[in-house]
Amino acid sequence: MIRLEQVSVFFGPTIALDGLDTTIEPGITGLFGPNGSGKSTLLRVVAGLLAPNAGRVTFEGSPVATSDEGFVRRVGYAGHSAGLYSRLTVRENLELFAVLHGRVRPDLEPLLEQIGLAEHSATRAGVLSAGLKQRAAVARALVHSPDVLLLDEPYANLDDEAAALVSCAIQEWWTPQRIALVATHGAKKLKAFAHGGLILKRGRTVVQGSYRERPEAETFS
Amino acid sequence: MSGVGFVAKTAALTRKDLRVEARSRDTLPPMLAFAFTVALVLAFTLPDATRASAKVVAGFLWITVLFAGLIGFARTFEVEREEGALDALLLVPLDRSGIFFSKAAANLVFLALVEVFLVPVFGLFFSLDLSSWLMLALVVVLVDIGFVAVGTLFASLASQTRSRELILPILALPVLVPAFIAGVELSADLFAGAGLDDIAARGWFGILLFFDAVFLVVGALGFEFAID
Repeated sequence: MIRLEQVSVFFGPTIALDGLDTTIEPGITGLFGPNGSGKSTLLRVVAGLLAPNAGRVTFEGSPVATSDEGFVRRVGYAGHSAGLYSRLTVRENLELFAVLHGRVRPDLEPLLEQIGLAEHSATRAGVLSAGLKQRAAVARALVHSPDVLLLDEPYANLDDEAAALVSCAIQEWWTPQRIALVATHGAKKLKAFAHGGLILKRGRTVVQGSYRERPEAETFS
Repeated sequence: MSGVGFVAKTAALTRKDLRVEARSRDTLPPMLAFAFTVALVLAFTLPDATRASAKVVAGFLWITVLFAGLIGFARTFEVEREEGALDALLLVPLDRSGIFFSKAAANLVFLALVEVFLVPVFGLFFSLDLSSWLMLALVVVLVDIGFVAVGTLFASLASQTRSRELILPILALPVLVPAFIAGVELSADLFAGAGLDDIAARGWFGILLFFDAVFLVVGALGFEFAID
């Protein structure tokens, strides 16, 4: 469980998160809201990449921090940028991050096949199309089978077929104890399999709920 | 499945940086071009380059190494900036000192390659006595270790600013003075043909060892605050 207590983040005079108070339970949760609503900031705060100006964020009761090896071992994050080394091939990137996460001789084939990158595995990340790069970023976030998956606009630049591969990869990764928080404008794609949703507006939660428990959440957009 | 330790992860990151450089050639060629150009200009500047005093030549050599190194160190975190890989790197279970040592090791390789090229060039241009090359190599390694420790640490700070190429020398140069004075003194003695006992008696080796130890520790501990 991820708990955010009165979390505020400011960038100068701009309020990105405004006393956000919420709990993210295991499951796949969609994170929705208009541009500038604080979705990306929330993901960075949960990942520990950005320290809030006020409030605290905990995962299973412990404060999140990138310096906590136990925490980062369990987190997979793909932000706005791909987080890949452009001069390395897709396979070399994934191998590197697998090794850094402690995997000895990782078998990358299933992941590459699953996300539709097998035939591009020898291509340098820097020359991939935006859509392929996006898929490679998701693969990087999944390469160590994290318990918490944080994805920022994973459907950006993807056609329907590629988006379906990403959705499939998220669903196959998920098990009942795992948490995925997926920020997206593609609500329809995510609603097909997400367990719940969270709508942000101006750094505050507008609506939060489970799709099963709160039918009105179907109106998430 | 788990079993990759600190050293193996650090080595994997160093290999990554070397592989990226082998493909991009963004760092080493500018360092080499700068070093050769300065050596060439200096050789033509002195009235009789072959008779220049050992101390003057040693000073020229280390100033060239210093600025060539800073050119390279300024690019230390460029590969992470290109595609936002720094976030991904910060989210791997590796102590920050591992990232520091991996970057320092890659910088050390780049610097050593420049020196492997530069020292013979200086030897040729200034008719240096390089018979004590083994001792000279020891001096170079000792100066380089402190240099890359300081350079890598400050490069991580400078990388978070827009004018990182300017910030890095401003931060690093004052700190590097003791190591480079020691390098000049030791190299000058070697170029002048001084014996090992004479060189050892002057205490510069001790200063270099102390400098290296201090800045390796400071770099490893301070890197976390610099990069976060």
